[in-house]
Amino acid sequence: MAHNVKIVARPSASFRDKLYLPAIADGLKVTFKHLFNNVNDSNAIDTLEYPEEQPTDVTQRYRGLHRLTHRADDSIACVACFMCSTACPSNCIFIEATQREDGKDEKMPKSFFIDTLECVFCGYCVEACPCDAIRMDTGIFSLTGNKREDFVMNKERLLSHKGAFGEEVSCARG
Amino acid sequence: MSTAAIIIAIVSFALGALLALLTIPVLVWLERRVAGLIQDRLGPNRTNVAGFRLGGVVQSFADVVKLLLKEEYYPSHIKTGKWLFMLAPIITFATALLAFMAIPFADTLILDGESLRVQALPIDFGVFWYLAVSSIGVLGVIFGGWLSHNKYALLGAARAGSMVISYELPLGLSVLAFIITYDTVDFNAMVALQSGTFFGFLPAWGILLQPLASIILIVSLFAETNRNPFTVAEGESEIVAGFMTEYTAMKFAMYFMGEYVAMNTASAVIITMIFGGYNLPWVSTQLLAENFSIFASSIMIVMPLIVAILIRWMRKNNGVRPSVSTDGGRNFETKVLTIVMIGMTLLVEAILIYLIFVADNSLGNSIAIALFQVVVFVVKLMTFNIFFIIIRWTVPRFRYDQVQKLGWSYLLPLSLVNVFITAIIVIGVL
Repeated sequence: MAHNVKIVARPSASFRDKLYLPAIADGLKVTFKHLFNNVNDSNAIDTLEYPEEQPTDVTQRYRGLHRLTHRADDSIACVACFMCSTACPSNCIFIEATQREDGKDEKMPKSFFIDTLECVFCGYCVEACPCDAIRMDTGIFSLTGNKREDFVMNKERLLSHKGAFGEEVSCARG
Repeated sequence: MSTAAIIIAIVSFALGALLALLTIPVLVWLERRVAGLIQDRLGPNRTNVAGFRLGGVVQSFADVVKLLLKEEYYPSHIKTGKWLFMLAPIITFATALLAFMAIPFADTLILDGESLRVQALPIDFGVFWYLAVSSIGVLGVIFGGWLSHNKYALLGAARAGSMVISYELPLGLSVLAFIITYDTVDFNAMVALQSGTFFGFLPAWGILLQPLASIILIVSLFAETNRNPFTVAEGESEIVAGFMTEYTAMKFAMYFMGEYVAMNTASAVIITMIFGGYNLPWVSTQLLAENFSIFASSIMIVMPLIVAILIRWMRKNNGVRPSVSTDGGRNFETKVLTIVMIGMTLLVEAILIYLIFVADNSLGNSIAIALFQVVVFVVKLMTFNIFFIIIRWTVPRFRYDQVQKLGWSYLLPLSLVNVFITAIIVIGVL
């Protein structure tokens, strides 16, 4: 064991380092430079002044608040197949199906609720949807409300959300 | 006692209390703001009263209101020594406050042959007062940690105890070197001596006369005030919050404010003992009084320049980026503050013109000089406080055994050697 011990020389054994004060002076140089630059021009600091200043770097892949897409004729794209609520790991999608009368498809949701307080924003519903009817491309990252009920999205509210990246109409049920 | 004496005594007491107490919110804000700016953040800058945010200093007053209104929680496991548990933060706070009172804010005013000290506590043994009173402050830390009946608090108290034996000796010995050099224990006389020169041109500041003792004094005072890199008693990353783990609401606030008062006091002592106190280098009070018109006219030239730089800085920085939708009244605030600053400058100019050309009495002159010295003192005090803060955000914390090694193996021998050399030079050579 003993012959395997390798003694690593401490790199900071010089007299200057042992004095410790020059090192403090070096550190002060760095911190003071930052302080001086930022006092001199505080608007150059990369801090988002959030409520007034909104982020501009929400990308297309960002999983924001959900929306239900439309067809080209503005009717709902969802066919109430329950794939999304089956895939949902937090069981927060509640669908009630009904007969679709306009002949475009057989079924449509009578009611469609997403409880965003339960939702973990994993995006499995978007992956599971065969009709491209549910998407998370609204770019909405902040959701506020005064009571719990405000966070349960109904069908009308989900349909009213607009896509933030140009794709409005469902790709599968155009 | 004459009326003037009573007025000066009241004014200097008010000044002492204000400088000690009103700087607490300013220092708390400065600490957070400087920390932010050093780390390329903004720090608190939003709280405002009717649109006036003054860079964010209003935040501290909101914090005080919050701490005052918090629930007064008392840990139920503390069975014995409740009164001392409550008293401990008050000891820390009160001693730091009392120690500040011996600091002179301006030179002794001489009115009608009566010399009046501009000191909250008009004593001529200020150094002893400071050493005696401020060392009691750590007792509050030790009592609080011990009586919390909590292992973290106890560890914090033990560390505070180990700190005391590390820094007190070098502190006392470095102060002794200054006492030998200046041949006085009066802060005011120390400042008067420092306004002179040595070798003909260097200002006789303590840091130039006694560089080693100055460094030891600064290091020991950093330790005494529990500031980084000597925050071992608090050690929030190791022992929760150290001695103040069990303290809440105003009891905690007492410790918290006590730390800042102690820092302020240490800054005041450092600038009084080694940075020329309330005097500018090379400029003694006598020189100012003899050449009052030159002094006043140079103030009249320099003050508008400083105010112009301040206003320019404010117009540049008290705004928001173009991408921000609303400026939250910052433009209005800038306008009002600009008017206030220009108004104050004009007022000072008018008073100085009156003193130079119209009134030719020494009373007005000496009061103007005293006010100027108070301003110099406050500027130096805040500069050194900012130095304290920058150090905190620069240097990591020592282990408590490292502090002991520093105190006993390095600072104590160095300060002893320094005292011997100083004594030999003072007695043998001079």
